[in-house]
Amino acid sequence: MKITLEVDVLTNNNRAAAFNRQLFEETNTLVINIMSSPGAGKTTILEKTIEALANEFRIGVIEGDLATEKDADRIRALGAQAVQINTHGGCHLDARMIAAVLPQFDFQHLDILFIENVGNLVCPSGYDLGQQHKVAVLSVPEGNDKIPKYPTMFMRTELVLLNKIDLLPYLDFDVEQAKEDLSCIHPQSKLLPLSAKTGEGMDEWLHWIREGVARCKKQSISQ
Amino acid sequence: MHEMALMGEIVQLIEQDAQMKKIKYVKKVELLVGTLSNVLPDALQFAFDVYKMQANNCLTMNAELIIHIEKAKAVCAICGSQYEPVTKIAQCPACLLPSGNIVAGETFRILAYEGSLTHENYIGS
Repeated sequence: MKITLEVDVLTNNNRAAAFNRQLFEETNTLVINIMSSPGAGKTTILEKTIEALANEFRIGVIEGDLATEKDADRIRALGAQAVQINTHGGCHLDARMIAAVLPQFDFQHLDILFIENVGNLVCPSGYDLGQQHKVAVLSVPEGNDKIPKYPTMFMRTELVLLNKIDLLPYLDFDVEQAKEDLSCIHPQSKLLPLSAKTGEGMDEWLHWIREGVARCKKQSISQ
Repeated sequence: MHEMALMGEIVQLIEQDAQMKKIKYVKKVELLVGTLSNVLPDALQFAFDVYKMQANNCLTMNAELIIHIEKAKAVCAICGSQYEPVTKIAQCPACLLPSGNIVAGETFRILAYEGSLTHENYIGS
């Protein structure tokens, strides 16, 4: 017998994402899904961000990697709560993996949850985790051709952190070309050059986060 | 992209539905795949064959995968012309700007499946 199903292949993921999103909204938590190639500097940016904001906000982190607790250990060393998800070969985090670890966080006492996705510029872009914001990290050594070469990622992220700008004098990265490529693929997106190592440009990133937290809290007052 | 994981989603969704209808054996699956959905039909076929070889799901050994292709379509936000974009950055052939809104080609859906309640039914067919 033939059964007509007519369902989106990612139905189960999207259902879990909706569940996550509802929890984040009800608890006024700012949730940011950070994606990049391996080695672009996601964890270092998070370390510096936590150091800078530790006195203002209560921060939690979900770390996604194929193996090891290395990244979660780096976050825990700063006193923030971190939960490591090991995908055991899986190339991305999905919304069910996130839902499974959410009970480990106390959302009544959390302002920001960062989700550091598996290092991969392709697959993570296809999965909604329930986050309010998707942020990509691109680093100077990768080259400015990555934006047009991996359009699915940069079409879906509203902010691109261009990390390791302290290396610009030594490498042939064309920042203006990267900005132009990004505005062509996703006109509403913004490229934010910074160096997690030297701290240059970090203030604007921190400002963007503060605005995000303020929006979450404001929603709760108006409700 | 990650067709093994996506095929896992497909098999899971079909099994969820088949269980409710008491269907035990699935012998045909029909998908609709857009040319801009970032899914490769060949890799999907390969993943389907891998799942078929595993005994722990509802697919029969001779199950068939049929992939219908949805063509891409974009409408230019400036001049209104309709065209078939090659990539997600839908450059309008008239305006030469990436001004197209994609209206078709991003679909990735399970359309239907065929199954039977008993083992004998499918061996005989």
